[in-house]
Amino acid sequence: MLESRQLSLSIAGFKLLQDVDLQVCPGEVTAIIGPNGAGKTSLLRLLCGEIKPSSGEVIFDGLSLDQWQPKQLARMLSVLPQGSALNFPFTAREVVMMGRIPHATGLAKDIEIVDAALALVGGSYLDKRPYTQMSGGEKQRVQLARVLAQIWEPDTCGDRVLILDEPTSAFDLAHQQLTLEIVKNFVRQGVGVLLVVHDLNLAASCADQLVVLNCGRLVAQGAPEHVLSVDLIEQVFNVTASIGVHPRTGSPMVIV
Amino acid sequence: MRRYSPIKFISLAGVALVMALLCGLLSGASDIPPSKIWGLFSFKALDMDHQILQLIRLPRVLLAALAGACLASCGAVMQGLFRNPLADPSLIGVSSGASVGASCVIFFGGTSVIGSGIGLPAIVVGAFVGGLLATSIVYRLATSVTGTSVATMLLAGIAITALSGAITSLFSFFADNEMLRRISLWQMGNLDGADWPRALSMGLVAIPLILVLPREGQALNAMLLGESEARHLGVDVETMKRRLILLTALGVGVAVAVSGVVAFVGLIVPHLVRLMIGPDHRYLIPGSAILGAVLLLLADTAARTLMSPAELPTGVITALLGAPFFVGLLLQQRKRMVG
Repeated sequence: MLESRQLSLSIAGFKLLQDVDLQVCPGEVTAIIGPNGAGKTSLLRLLCGEIKPSSGEVIFDGLSLDQWQPKQLARMLSVLPQGSALNFPFTAREVVMMGRIPHATGLAKDIEIVDAALALVGGSYLDKRPYTQMSGGEKQRVQLARVLAQIWEPDTCGDRVLILDEPTSAFDLAHQQLTLEIVKNFVRQGVGVLLVVHDLNLAASCADQLVVLNCGRLVAQGAPEHVLSVDLIEQVFNVTASIGVHPRTGSPMVIV
Repeated sequence: MRRYSPIKFISLAGVALVMALLCGLLSGASDIPPSKIWGLFSFKALDMDHQILQLIRLPRVLLAALAGACLASCGAVMQGLFRNPLADPSLIGVSSGASVGASCVIFFGGTSVIGSGIGLPAIVVGAFVGGLLATSIVYRLATSVTGTSVATMLLAGIAITALSGAITSLFSFFADNEMLRRISLWQMGNLDGADWPRALSMGLVAIPLILVLPREGQALNAMLLGESEARHLGVDVETMKRRLILLTALGVGVAVAVSGVVAFVGLIVPHLVRLMIGPDHRYLIPGSAILGAVLLLLADTAARTLMSPAELPTGVITALLGAPFFVGLLLQQRKRMVG
C-alpha cells in the first residue's frame, strides 16, 4: 500500500500542497481530480519519490520511500508521466523492453512480457517502428506498455502500484476504453492504481476512490457517488453542473 | 532507415580496424615491405625498417586507434547523457581547458620532460591538468543540493569554453612567433608527437574506459526516456552522471593531452553508428569505439602520407573529411523527413 501522511510541499514560499493524507490500496483505483494548478502533478511527483516533501512522508509497504533500494522499488512501483522527452529512434520493442531494466528475469521471459504488453495496448504492429515517427497516441500507448511491462508480474517483496498521469490525454475514445479495461485488469490482479484525470466522467466510471484537490488541499475523498455533488463541482471547478446516472453502469455522470 | 544487426556491424568494424592498423603500419615516408610486419614480434634483427616500425609507426598507429576509440565512445556517452544526438565530448569544457593548459606550458617555456621515468613532455601534463580543471569547474557550477542539472552544465560548458578561449588568445597575443606557431599547431590536433610513453598512457586510460563504458549502456538508454523516467526504472541517476562525467573527462582529457584537439571524431562517429545500428547504448558504445579507432587511424595515415615527407595536422584531416560528411548526413536526414 502506498500512502501519504500529512504531506506538504512549499516551493519558493508558495504552499503547493498542505497536509494531504491519502491511501492507494491494493486492488483499487484511486483517481485524483481537481482544477488546473490544484497540485495534482506535485502530489503525484511526491508520491513516486521524484521530489521530496517539505514535511510529512510517503510510506510504501511500511517503509518510507527513501528507505527502499531504487531497483527494488522500481520492480513494484511504475510511473507513466504525461509526456515523454524521448527523441532518439528506439523501436517500440526497445522502449517497452526498458520496462524490464529493473528485473533480472532473463531475456526469454522479458521478450515474452514485452510481446504481451505490446499486444495488450494494441501496439503489436508498432514493434519495429521508430518511436520518433509515431503519432502522439501511438507514443503514449508504447509508454503505457513500458510501464505495464515493468510491473507485469507480482513481486515477492510486496504489492505493486501503478501511477498514471493523464494516461488517456492523447487517446481517441476506443483507446480510452482500452486503457480503462487494462487498468481494471491489473486492479483485479491486486495492483493499486493511482491516476490523475481531467475527465470527471472517466474518473467516476473507473475509480473506487475519488480524491478531490483544490488549492493544494484535499477537499473530498471517497466513492465517486458520494463525492461528486453539484455543490462540490460548483465550489471546486466553478462550474454549474447536473449529476445524472450512467444508464448502463450506474456510475454518476457529470453533465455541464 | 534499415538497421544493421549490431553484432554484424561490430564484427565488420573489427575487421576494418585490423586492416586499418596494417595499412597505417605499412604506409609512410619510407617504403617498408609487408613481410617486415612479422619482425615486430621479434626483439632481434634490428635493421632500419624494423626500428621505424617498432619505435615510430607502431606507437603512432596504436595512439591513433586508442585516442579515436576513446573520443568516439565518450562522445556516445555524452550524447546519451545530454539526450542530444549533436552533443560533443568537448561540451563539458575539457578540450578548451586543455588548450589553456597547453598554451600556458608553451608560453612559460616548459619544454622539459616531467619525470624521466615516465617520459611525458610537460605540455601533455599541462593539457591534461587544464582539461580536468575546466571540467571540474563546469561540473561544480551545474551541481547543487538537488543534483546535477544537465541543462545548466551545457550552459556552464559554453561559458567556460568561451573563457578558456579568451585565456588561450591572451597567451597567443603575448607569445613570440615560435610559441605562436606551436600553440596553433597544438590546437589543430596532431599525432606527430607519438611515442611509446604517450601511446602507453593513452592505453592505460582508454582500454579500461572502453571496457567499462558499455556497462552503463542500459542506464543510459533509460536516461534517454527522461531523467525522472530513468529514476523510476531504478537507475541511480545522480551517481551515474557523476561517474560518466568523470570517466569522460579522464578519457577525453588524456586523448586531448597526447594528441591535441582532434575535431569531429567524438561527434560524428556515434551519430553515424546510431544511424546504422540504432540508439541502444549497449552496442552504440563499443561500435563507436571501434569505428572511432578506424576513422582516426585512416585520417592520421592520410595526414602522414598525403604530402610525404611533410605531415599535415591530423585534426585538419578529420575536420576536412568530417564536416562535409556531417552536412551530407543532415541533408539526407532532412530529405527523409520531407519525402
